[in-house]
Amino acid sequence: MDFFEITNDPLDVGAIARRVVPANCGATITLDGYVRQFTKGRETLHLVYEAYEPMALKEMEKLIAKARERFEIENVGIVHRLGKLEIGETSVVVTVAAPHRRAAFEACEWLIKELKRTVPIWKKEVYRGGEIWIEGEPAIKN
Amino acid sequence: MKVQVLFFGATADETGEREIEFSLAENTNANQAFAEIVEKFPRLKNHKLLFAVNQEYASGGEIVKGGDELAVFTAVSGG
Repeated sequence: MDFFEITNDPLDVGAIARRVVPANCGATITLDGYVRQFTKGRETLHLVYEAYEPMALKEMEKLIAKARERFEIENVGIVHRLGKLEIGETSVVVTVAAPHRRAAFEACEWLIKELKRTVPIWKKEVYRGGEIWIEGEPAIKN
Repeated sequence: MKVQVLFFGATADETGEREIEFSLAENTNANQAFAEIVEKFPRLKNHKLLFAVNQEYASGGEIVKGGDELAVFTAVSGG
């Protein structure tokens, strides 16, 4: 019962993490990604996220399938929020349940790293004195 | 033939568009199609761009068909 979703609503990390608690698992590892106030000395006021939603959902689904091949895990949930987010608000939750914790830690790290590289979502940083669309590392080859 | 072209984030700002209809010759491949789009919106050249055809990252050589959904965007920055 993997799930992958995009929403404009605030994310309840605990509720998302507990949506699937498989009977054969002993640990869920959950990443709570939230809006950082200071990046290399620059103060962020807020972020605005935007997505190419249908493609982003397809890419999330592919990531989950790949994670299942690489790691001994039972369930994955990914939820990404869009719109304006204030400092400290959760932008993304990646939650992985596994029979044993090590695989869940590794899968969670791999999933967020790949999400930031491949899923078509962008953040605009509004900072004191300006705003800019953040452009990631162009790791996808066209 | 006509295709839809979508822009997001920085590419939407640079083009002033989020979705346009774009005319291409028959048997145009993705590389040629995206080169034509960038020519029409030269400000896109300020960015490293990614391209998608029908919601999949483009490989470049695939032939674009009428009605296809193309997208032009910058390296992603979710998370």
